[in-house]
Amino acid sequence: MDASIILEHLYLVVMTVIFSVVVGLPIGVLAYLKPAGRKIVLWSVEILQTIPALALLGLIIIALGPGKMTVISGLVLYSLLPIVHNTCVGLENVDNGIKEAGKGMGLTQLDRLISVEIPLAFPMIFTGIRIATVTTVGVAVFATSVGGGGLGKIIYQGIRTQNINLIVSGTVSLMIMAVLFDVLMIWINRRLAKGAHNKAF
Amino acid sequence: MIFFETYGDRLITAFQVHLFYVLTSVTIGFAIALVLGILLSRVPQYAKVIMPLLSVFQTIPGIVFIGILFLYLGMIPATVISALAVYAIFPILKNTYTGLLDIKKEYIEAAKGCGMSPFQTLLEVELPLASPSIIAGLRMSTIYTVSWAVLAAMIGLGGLGEFIYIGIASNNDQLILAGAIPSAIMAIGLSLLIDVLRRVVVPKGIRSVK
Amino acid sequence: MIRFENVKKKYGNTVILDNLSFNIEPGEFVVLIGPSGCGKTTTLKSINRLIKPDQGKIFVNGQEISQVNPVKLRRKIGYVIQQIGLFPNMTIEQNIGVVPKRLKYEKKEIQKITRDLMEMVDMSFEEYAHKYPSELSGGQQQRIGVLRALAASPPIVLMDEPFGALDPMTRATLQKEIGKLHKKLNKTIVFVTHDMNEALDLADKIIFMEQGKIVQMATPEEMLANPASPLIRDFMRKSSLATDPLNLTAADFMSANVISVQKKKSIRECTDIMARQHIDSLVIKNEDETYAGVVTIKDIKKHGKSSGTIGEIEPYQNITSDILENAKDSFDKLYNSGDNYVVVLNNDQTVAGIISKTSMATAMADTLWGDMQ
Repeated sequence: MDASIILEHLYLVVMTVIFSVVVGLPIGVLAYLKPAGRKIVLWSVEILQTIPALALLGLIIIALGPGKMTVISGLVLYSLLPIVHNTCVGLENVDNGIKEAGKGMGLTQLDRLISVEIPLAFPMIFTGIRIATVTTVGVAVFATSVGGGGLGKIIYQGIRTQNINLIVSGTVSLMIMAVLFDVLMIWINRRLAKGAHNKAF
Repeated sequence: MIFFETYGDRLITAFQVHLFYVLTSVTIGFAIALVLGILLSRVPQYAKVIMPLLSVFQTIPGIVFIGILFLYLGMIPATVISALAVYAIFPILKNTYTGLLDIKKEYIEAAKGCGMSPFQTLLEVELPLASPSIIAGLRMSTIYTVSWAVLAAMIGLGGLGEFIYIGIASNNDQLILAGAIPSAIMAIGLSLLIDVLRRVVVPKGIRSVK
Repeated sequence: MIRFENVKKKYGNTVILDNLSFNIEPGEFVVLIGPSGCGKTTTLKSINRLIKPDQGKIFVNGQEISQVNPVKLRRKIGYVIQQIGLFPNMTIEQNIGVVPKRLKYEKKEIQKITRDLMEMVDMSFEEYAHKYPSELSGGQQQRIGVLRALAASPPIVLMDEPFGALDPMTRATLQKEIGKLHKKLNKTIVFVTHDMNEALDLADKIIFMEQGKIVQMATPEEMLANPASPLIRDFMRKSSLATDPLNLTAADFMSANVISVQKKKSIRECTDIMARQHIDSLVIKNEDETYAGVVTIKDIKKHGKSSGTIGEIEPYQNITSDILENAKDSFDKLYNSGDNYVVVLNNDQTVAGIISKTSMATAMADTLWGDMQ
């Protein structure tokens, strides 16, 4: 097993997370701003999550043709739930007094979101991104079934050829990657939370 | 319609097999998780070390477990069920554990003060109070398991995954959908069922207090 | 009934109970009182073995309790805690029936007990028995908490600051009720509080503790007449002085915890402070710390800009009161002005505190019903 496969997997994960945030964050914010649509949005992302990852990828490949970007778009759909959910709930949970004060100062809704509400909800939003990242590391294994490469290739190969060494080396790399992401992101979140604290007081 | 004439029977069998895998493994997983969660909540000082270790194992993709068990146990349903059960454990275990730990001290003290034995306290106060969290874990586990059970087909053990695998191999979107839609329906149906269960299990007095 | 013999307890190096010995007679209402950390709660909790002493013996009804199964012991001792601790998953009837059910009482009998007990505190069985704790007010919940402790008619009831979390009105009512219940049921009650008025009202005997030792154990009359230490005298004085409303000044009622800013603070910072503290106005001070006026969130809104300093906004001239002014005069001002609070000023015109309508109500309750912490 060479490093390129790990890098390939890493590429899938990082791209997926970036796109998930780009798509999921605005959806979460919209769901928060428009309570009427909130239920439908949260429900839809939950439904997406009930479709088996493999099937979702299979369908997208058929629709868009094989290739890394298609794999990534499938994985994005699959990781929307925690990001959208945490964004929406995190914003809802921001203290009402603070929201009111923002209004009282005559800030526009957009200004309030950007300068007050999103910063305060950020730890929760970031937790959603972290969950999505760690899950994606695992789910990206399926990429190989639809020609996307990554560590899944090693694992499948191991299972097919009954080569336990191959399976274990693939799995361990995967676990390490997941744990590293997890630890790194928890650390970043703590740092950010501390920074916000210092700024406020 | 032609599709159903050709695949209808196979689809129904696959659905049943899939449901069987899910129900058995979630049941087994639930029983193990509940017991482990209770035990760990009695020794939080060890649990602090054990829980993160378990969560690391959770990052192993299901396919690996099935693959390895397949090598040792062979192509039998027990392979799939034990692999899926292992996956079903963690969300329930985690929620049971945190649900029990989050109970306010005063209730435990009141229970002791009323002369409840530790077992009675667990059964009549702690578990009912933790039930919303435990059920939420069960719901999560069930939805995941429906999705993971697709992997049974990878080692030729049927279920809705069969359609998905064949569909991907032959580039047939109808077949993939024939596997994906029933599986999504199963996940949604089971989670609705759990919502009903929640209404029955969670005591009325704490339903509003989430 | 309850006897402590040389009981000792340490947490790490801190001595909590220091060689404690005393005796409580059957039917006595004993109140444990003292400053926080004096060991009163630890004493109480070692009676039903929620806390295990390091040394010494405790006898309940002649039996050394370390020899008794704790579960069995606790079923014979009622227990009421400050946080109430009604089980939220059980109805009121189920909560009251917790102990009788475990002692294998008949269902009918449990219902009768519940009905009788609820009647005693004027709560209708029909109306409340099938409700859940979350549907009751705090005072009602604690009534049920007391009834739960009484349900299996234990000869002893332990109460750990049972009314500490209630508002003064409810507390006074419940104190009266508990006094009545005690007379009627002839229980031995051990009651922990930090409120001397409560102790004087309820106790047959007061045990005053400090640093794990008993400083004085006496009837309320005796303790009033001959307090054994300056600290006890201080506790007493606080409770008796507070009942003489004529001598009170604005200083006695104000909250010194007032949030004020200097004129040079930026408006943005000010709104930040207001949001964080959940207040809608700020007291503004001149450069030399003297009082300048009050700016509300409305004034800021009217001003329109969030740049600049707070001094640019013309402050509202809120009513003020001198710190030594008679409290009644300050209250009258507050009521006649329509302002939300009075700003209390020191002699040199610096801000000492504020009296708001709520703090006034709290303070009056305090005076009438005792120290609220």
